[in-house]
Amino acid sequence: MKRDKHLPLTETVYYILLALLEPAHGYVIMQKVEDLSDGEVRMAAGTLYGAIENLLKLKFIQSVQSEDSRRKVYIITNEGKRILRLDFERINHLIKITENNW
Amino acid sequence: MKKFRFYLDFEKEEIWLNEMARQGWGLTRKSLWYEFRKVVPNDATIKIDYHTFKTKNDFEDYCTLFEDSGWEHIAGTKTSGTQYFYKSSSSSDGDIFSDIPSKAARYKRLSKVWLSIAISYFPISVALVSTNPINISALVNPKLLYYTPGLWDKTGSYFLRAFLIETPFAIMRGFTWLLFPALIILYLIFAVKAEKNYRKTNG
Repeated sequence: MKRDKHLPLTETVYYILLALLEPAHGYVIMQKVEDLSDGEVRMAAGTLYGAIENLLKLKFIQSVQSEDSRRKVYIITNEGKRILRLDFERINHLIKITENNW
Repeated sequence: MKKFRFYLDFEKEEIWLNEMARQGWGLTRKSLWYEFRKVVPNDATIKIDYHTFKTKNDFEDYCTLFEDSGWEHIAGTKTSGTQYFYKSSSSSDGDIFSDIPSKAARYKRLSKVWLSIAISYFPISVALVSTNPINISALVNPKLLYYTPGLWDKTGSYFLRAFLIETPFAIMRGFTWLLFPALIILYLIFAVKAEKNYRKTNG
């Protein structure tokens, strides 16, 4: 089986997609990523903005209607969910074989 | 106070702006030049990003994200490209980038803009060469650019006067079009330099 060319996802992209299973704007994404990673991954504004732009281009996320006109709100797309799931399975496989071979 | 400087290297530009703040000059505006106002000398952190925006909304959303995370947008417009941020709270981290690829990517965007400007001058250059009476042979024989009847038969001070009077016009007539290829080359150099900075930053 040929692997999807977007895999593996970078750690930050993985966290962003995971955070966007629920709609969120930029700053909320930053906070969620920090929480989800137990404070390990702290994204700066410029880095996050670039990542969002890139994920929009790849159609892994999309912007949704927002009540706050100054902050755009994003959510993961079906394609984004598919890729996140694929990477999850890849990591799961790594975990299994590592445990079996340790 | 206004100052004119030109940078292709964001890191050097940041160092200069931080030094200005240390001397009590806070950046308030950037167009072709930098505008400063007197402030209390401070150990500011000024960081530069490079982005242009399609809509006012996109621009506002971008600035808000930075402000939410403790970076005040102090200069830059929707279409200016360079965006200047000032660290306004001690809780925010020391940089607007948290990894190397995103820090490098701003040079990639800058390079693309210079390249597209360079390319946009191609049609006008081609149009000038193919339609206008650009006298390529004048490069070899500049005499063709002088229109004064009988100029080259005159002698002495009379010749010198007529010659000197017409020379600026002859230069304009013959070589103004060279401005376009020259600009194309200049912008291509900027694009290449930005690309080099991109690779250097990415390591």
